[in-house]
Amino acid sequence: MTQDLADPRSAFEELALPLFEPLYNYARWLTRDPIEAEDLVQETYLKGVRGFGSFAPGTNFRAWMYRILRNTFLTSRSGLRATPPLSIDEDPDQFEQISVSETPESLFLARADREALGRAIESLPLPFREVLVLADVENMSYREIAETLAIPVGTVTSRLIRARQKVRNTLRGER
Amino acid sequence: MMRDLTAEEIERYADGELDAGAVAEADAHLRECARCAGAVLSVMQMKSAIRAMPRFTPPPALRARVLARPARSARGAWWLGAAAAVALVFAGAGLLRFREATAAQLVDLHTTILASANPVDVLSTDRHTVKPWFEGKLPFAVDVPDLAQPFHLIGGRVIYWHGQPGGYLLIAKGAHRISLFVFAEDAVPRAIASRAGMTIAVWRTRGLAYVAVADVPAEDLEPLRRAFVRD
Repeated sequence: MTQDLADPRSAFEELALPLFEPLYNYARWLTRDPIEAEDLVQETYLKGVRGFGSFAPGTNFRAWMYRILRNTFLTSRSGLRATPPLSIDEDPDQFEQISVSETPESLFLARADREALGRAIESLPLPFREVLVLADVENMSYREIAETLAIPVGTVTSRLIRARQKVRNTLRGER
Repeated sequence: MMRDLTAEEIERYADGELDAGAVAEADAHLRECARCAGAVLSVMQMKSAIRAMPRFTPPPALRARVLARPARSARGAWWLGAAAAVALVFAGAGLLRFREATAAQLVDLHTTILASANPVDVLSTDRHTVKPWFEGKLPFAVDVPDLAQPFHLIGGRVIYWHGQPGGYLLIAKGAHRISLFVFAEDAVPRAIASRAGMTIAVWRTRGLAYVAVADVPAEDLEPLRRAFVRD
């Protein structure tokens, strides 16, 4: 593109358009609904354009856009329904023994399991679903996830552990 | 390290979030402990299975809506000069779509080839076998340089893209597979978008365009570029 980058509109477009497909993908995982995902992406870009003045240059733009999308989702009707009423990070001992009880398994290698895997992720409660999607679908680092979700890195780690454990349990239950 | 890894260490190891010292310690333990190695493998398998899932792609109309709406509302100083802005944005979007379509085709080609039972027609790690194999099959010579560690040539084949014949080299870097497409320079558009999780690098030299597609960071391909471009 040839627009002048000093122009905030062009700067926003330049930064935000490459995120279009990833944001839609993330929106689908959050909403689990194609129509809602479309509305969410559209509103995210609108808010992004309007709020671009508050974006601090040099900070993580991707995390900033994901955060807008997520906050928009959380205040939507289905987002409010998806938010758990209680803290979900309170049982630190729950996964202590996981590590040693695992056996290597080729659960995930068969193509036929892909659909089951997708369903298992979709069925995760929102706090687990979003960390797993950001980590493994969007390839974000723990730090970037922490920034996007405004939670400590330690919480990212523990939620990821439990998210993966839940997916494993669901897949085992399905066979 | 004698003790088992904690659940957190297993996750951080698989996610590449341990620092180098901790990785070395964990590696030492994993070599000896099948249970922890199994747990790490389980996380890595899930990660690669999730990465391999098809991504949700937005309907084409959504992009137009996302781009058009702020212009239409034209409130405040932001979208003043709306007509000019709309024209620019659509020109930009057209270019972007073109770049993305190109990138998507190349990534699809890469994925299809890797998924096929016979990804290459000439299977050889020897460049002196692969290079002459292309002779007479392409309207240009494919130069296959000597590859230094950590890159290994696996083989090659002829491919067609937009009706143009091209060379294809499959190169390994550890567990990663790099597709290197070789086309006449004018067969490859100037700009190609990047794709989430994939690196697409275009190198031009001596009338040829090399397009590398791989799931490794762009900087990891730099030695490969130097081997092929040698400028």
